[in-house]
Amino acid sequence: MPIHEKSLIRPENLKTHDKLVLDGIDVSGHWSTFIETRVVSDYNEALEEEISALPGGEYIHRCWQCGSCTNSCTVHAINPDFNPRFWIYLIRMGMESELLRDKDIIWQCVSCNKCTYACPRDVVPEGVMKATAHWLERKGHTPKSPSTHFDEVFTEQVIATGKIEESRTIRRFFKRTNQGLMQSWMVEMVKRMLRHLPIGLLSRMGLATFIAPRTSNWSSAASAIQEYIDEQHDKQDKALSLSELIDVAQKDAAA
Amino acid sequence: MTAKKEKYKKVAYYPGCALEGTGHAYNRSTKEVGKALGLDLVEVKNWNCCGAMEVKNVDPKIQTYLSSRVMSVAANEMDMDVVMAPCNGCYHNLKKAEYDLKNDSESAKVVDRLSKKAGHKTYETGQVETIHALDWIRETIGEDGLKERVKNSLSGIKIANYYGCMYTRPRHIFPEKDAGPGSESTSKPHFMDDLLAAAGAENVDFPLKTACCGGAHTLSDSDTSTKLVLNILKTAKLAGADVIATECPTCHSGLEMHQIRAEKNFGEKVEIKILYFTQLLGMALGLKARKVGVHENISDSIGFLKERGLG
Ligand code: SF4
Ligand code: SF4
Ligand code: SF4
Ligand code: SF4
Repeated sequence: MPIHEKSLIRPENLKTHDKLVLDGIDVSGHWSTFIETRVVSDYNEALEEEISALPGGEYIHRCWQCGSCTNSCTVHAINPDFNPRFWIYLIRMGMESELLRDKDIIWQCVSCNKCTYACPRDVVPEGVMKATAHWLERKGHTPKSPSTHFDEVFTEQVIATGKIEESRTIRRFFKRTNQGLMQSWMVEMVKRMLRHLPIGLLSRMGLATFIAPRTSNWSSAASAIQEYIDEQHDKQDKALSLSELIDVAQKDAAA
Repeated sequence: MTAKKEKYKKVAYYPGCALEGTGHAYNRSTKEVGKALGLDLVEVKNWNCCGAMEVKNVDPKIQTYLSSRVMSVAANEMDMDVVMAPCNGCYHNLKKAEYDLKNDSESAKVVDRLSKKAGHKTYETGQVETIHALDWIRETIGEDGLKERVKNSLSGIKIANYYGCMYTRPRHIFPEKDAGPGSESTSKPHFMDDLLAAAGAENVDFPLKTACCGGAHTLSDSDTSTKLVLNILKTAKLAGADVIATECPTCHSGLEMHQIRAEKNFGEKVEIKILYFTQLLGMALGLKARKVGVHENISDSIGFLKERGLG
């Protein structure tokens, strides 16, 4: 049969034969394209559980595959491969290797919550995207995304001082991700700001290194937060069987 | 209506981190508009960051705690019952914390534990009501009140009103929205449109009011953000707008930054003016452009405003 919806099938799964004779009938040309037969055997049965153990993934089991999330998705509109409904399906089926094909774009969810707004089952797909992106990183399938680096730089600063000072966050983020601060568009932006702005005010707005704002008497809140985060991290490691892995590795190294 | 009118006259003001940095002009214009309208803003004492999206990504319950601390200070240390946040991020997070504390006992437990360790009273749900700067002006002064006070009409200015994501989504944290006549709509918000129309402006039909600018990845995935912003800017222009009015420092700087980035990196020049709604209202109330920080904006609207007798 000719395949009309070729765009729905991954190109590597399509086989076209130049010359093909089946049961004595020449089916070359129009009738010679087939979909490769696939047998999926490497299910990760724990996949759904692992993702629901991470913050945001809690409600993945509610999904009934209506597709409203993908249909409303901001990122899907600019990249058709970005498909929350499909990924939720793969996770629930345990099809880890299929999911891994898209591992480098899942973190690109912009958290606009259009999906959460549209979802009839309160899955909170936005949360599932975050949980999945974190799962990929925690399991070592992807390096930390720039977005995770940004979250970490930001959170470290909030824990340390109670507040954010934007330019400091930006500088630290660029440093951590090895990017130059002097990108041409940034230079242009500052140039335009300078048109009407006294330099003193500009430095107060953007470069407030000297008067880094902080919340006073913050230290007990800071240590309480850090303690809680560490605790959660340990719990999640267990859920992802990472702690077991670490144990085994340590014993192995000791032996 | 009248109950809110009195209640919102004096509110605890939570500017948030962005208003001390890139959102400086929004901070300034909000305070100036409050002054011009005779409304009382008392800044939340020794406030902390609400956690924004970044802390939520690291751990949602920490974000709930951070937001709850702000509300706890307002309620327990200042005896206030309304917190007004002009930043969509802050507004959203305080609302979200209220919702989580009410509906998720695990969140409530974590917040209690952290509050005790940090040495302050645990916030109890219902102690404060969180509102946006739009609610604040709309309930206290309202459209009719504004009309009476307008000194320089915004007539002849065509505006696309941009609300972004966090002001309306997800729906469940805003129980007061979509609640019948007079309430805000989550699919087609109109509070900013209504206020600017009362000040004489002409609002264009703008379908991307609640589209996302990609603010979450403004620096970590800049090309995506630039694409999303470009779409918003071009659509506003096609709809006939001279100005995009904003009500959030993050949305505002997102549009400003990526307008330049689109020009520099993608070779796409739109040149639309981006102004905070409080800057527009302030000028309509007779304040000078400088007073409401128009010169702090990146997109240049000074000449345009002068031509129309503003500033
Ligand atoms: S909208 Fe909700 S129920 Fe529908 S596919 Fe997406 S997650 Fe599943
Ligand atoms: S939150 Fe993420 S997944 Fe959901 S619609 Fe927005 S970009 Fe798509
Ligand atoms: S949302 Fe932004 S402005 Fe508001 S407190 Fe958090 S970081 Fe600061
Ligand atoms: S529009 Fe952009 S800045 Fe505004 S709330 Fe959405 S993502 Fe954040």
